[in-house]
Amino acid sequence: MDYFDVNLDLSDEDLALKEAANKFAKEVMRPVAKELDQMTPNEAIGENSPLWSFFRQAYELGYHKILLPDFVGGLALNPLQMNIVMEELAWGSFGLACQIAVVSFPALGAMYSNDEELIEKVTIPFCECTDGSIRGCWGATEPDRGSDLLAMGEPIYHDPKVRCNCTAKREGDEWIINGQKAAWVSGGTISTHCMLHVQTEPSKGMAGFGACLVPMDLPGVTKGKPLDKMGQRDLNQGELFFDDVRIPANYMFVDPDFHEGIMEMLLTNANVWMASWATGLARAAFEEAFSYCKERVQGGRLLMEHYSIKQRIFNMFARVETSRAIARAAANLNFNISPGFPEYSMTAKITATENCLLNAHDAIQLLGGNGLTKEYLAEKLYRDARASLIEDGNNEVLARHGGHTLFEHYPRNRDDI
Amino acid sequence: MAIFESSAKMKKIFGEIWTDMVNNTDFGKELKEAGITIAFVVNDPDVVMYVDENGPIFDEEAEKKTPVVTMKMAGDTVHSFWLKKLNVPKALALRQIKAKGPVNKVLKILPLLKSGQEKYPSYCKNHSLPMD
Repeated sequence: MDYFDVNLDLSDEDLALKEAANKFAKEVMRPVAKELDQMTPNEAIGENSPLWSFFRQAYELGYHKILLPDFVGGLALNPLQMNIVMEELAWGSFGLACQIAVVSFPALGAMYSNDEELIEKVTIPFCECTDGSIRGCWGATEPDRGSDLLAMGEPIYHDPKVRCNCTAKREGDEWIINGQKAAWVSGGTISTHCMLHVQTEPSKGMAGFGACLVPMDLPGVTKGKPLDKMGQRDLNQGELFFDDVRIPANYMFVDPDFHEGIMEMLLTNANVWMASWATGLARAAFEEAFSYCKERVQGGRLLMEHYSIKQRIFNMFARVETSRAIARAAANLNFNISPGFPEYSMTAKITATENCLLNAHDAIQLLGGNGLTKEYLAEKLYRDARASLIEDGNNEVLARHGGHTLFEHYPRNRDDI
Repeated sequence: MAIFESSAKMKKIFGEIWTDMVNNTDFGKELKEAGITIAFVVNDPDVVMYVDENGPIFDEEAEKKTPVVTMKMAGDTVHSFWLKKLNVPKALALRQIKAKGPVNKVLKILPLLKSGQEKYPSYCKNHSLPMD
């Protein structure tokens, strides 16, 4: 179902991007996501999985490089276009929308490294890839360090007693990596490259992290089994293990001096994307309920003719519009300034993910018993939405960090830009 | 002590560099094709530079323009950047550089400046600026 965009200034290009993304979401992503959702995690990445067909088609259309600028071969979408495309893709599947973005993280990291060798070796080939054979993952969280890694500004973040699960030591012209990353590494078990956050200076605690690129075919890299989850089952996640893995020194492109700042920038960007995806899911839930209420008869009349149903449908619509507005506002701000203001991204992420869960919940309630069955999309949307409140920063932890940021910077000043 | 001892010296050096890049390389053409105009708001010394495909203008004249990208940084940071000694993502993360404008355009500027960076050491020699 199409929607009326309150932005009357959309260009022909904006509208074409929206239409193309919606077509892909409807014709490719929804059917593939439904199949993957009903498979075991191992089947979902098996030889005959529809996941590979999804990757091929997505790469052919360039959706794997929506985060990248044109001078390295990316799509160079503006903030509004990125929001429009991401919402449409997540309308098709939140998990697959996230998957097709996270594959680009090592390429994105390489580009930000400003290291021409890494850009030539990682970013350019990734952008040129049209068959889905180059896939990245984001190795941030660890078995003992989940939301802790977002505790920037808290005393524990700088506590040298905090030991991390994945470390790297410099030896000559190489870094040697040992340890493991959590089962929540998105794209982890199917990746060819990893953007890995790793503790390089234990004396600084979690502030002693660096970020590096790891080709996943290096000796000593092992991938765990794919994670079996309640929701977003179409998003591959799984553990990574590193046993004396050696990378060239220049592959460590972020050192502890500015890792905290880079994490803040990553969080600022990722939360905007999360808000866009959550808007897509909220809209999908709204549309499921809206269509059902126009057809289902109960109490002798269509559901849509019941007073309380009209109210609930309106509230679902309002959540979609609110989420879209706040996601676009955060994107417009934070993709037009560097570094961004994270409190606005976190506001968008928290609001939009809570709205998408509320909409998915209401969709099931409006569909009644049907909403609980796998015959209808609503139950998958509910499971997928639930994950979003924890993904890319547990909402409570984000709010804590947001409050910390406010006490440091509120009110922002235009001279800060 | 700041690398650039005065605003006048900085404007002289960068007036020459930008003009050379626009006149003798594809920089101006590439800038135009990319739809980019840039303002550098520098402190210590205080200088505002605006650059488009026609070359540089400074201070009051520059402040009247509406650039696509604005970059704020100290004079010493400018110097490090042109010597290719500045890790730009690090400088952004540490707020040594603040950029306003589409991030895509900000990132696109960096490779366009390579020709100027290649020549910058010779300007440093000519104007007795340290390169260590």
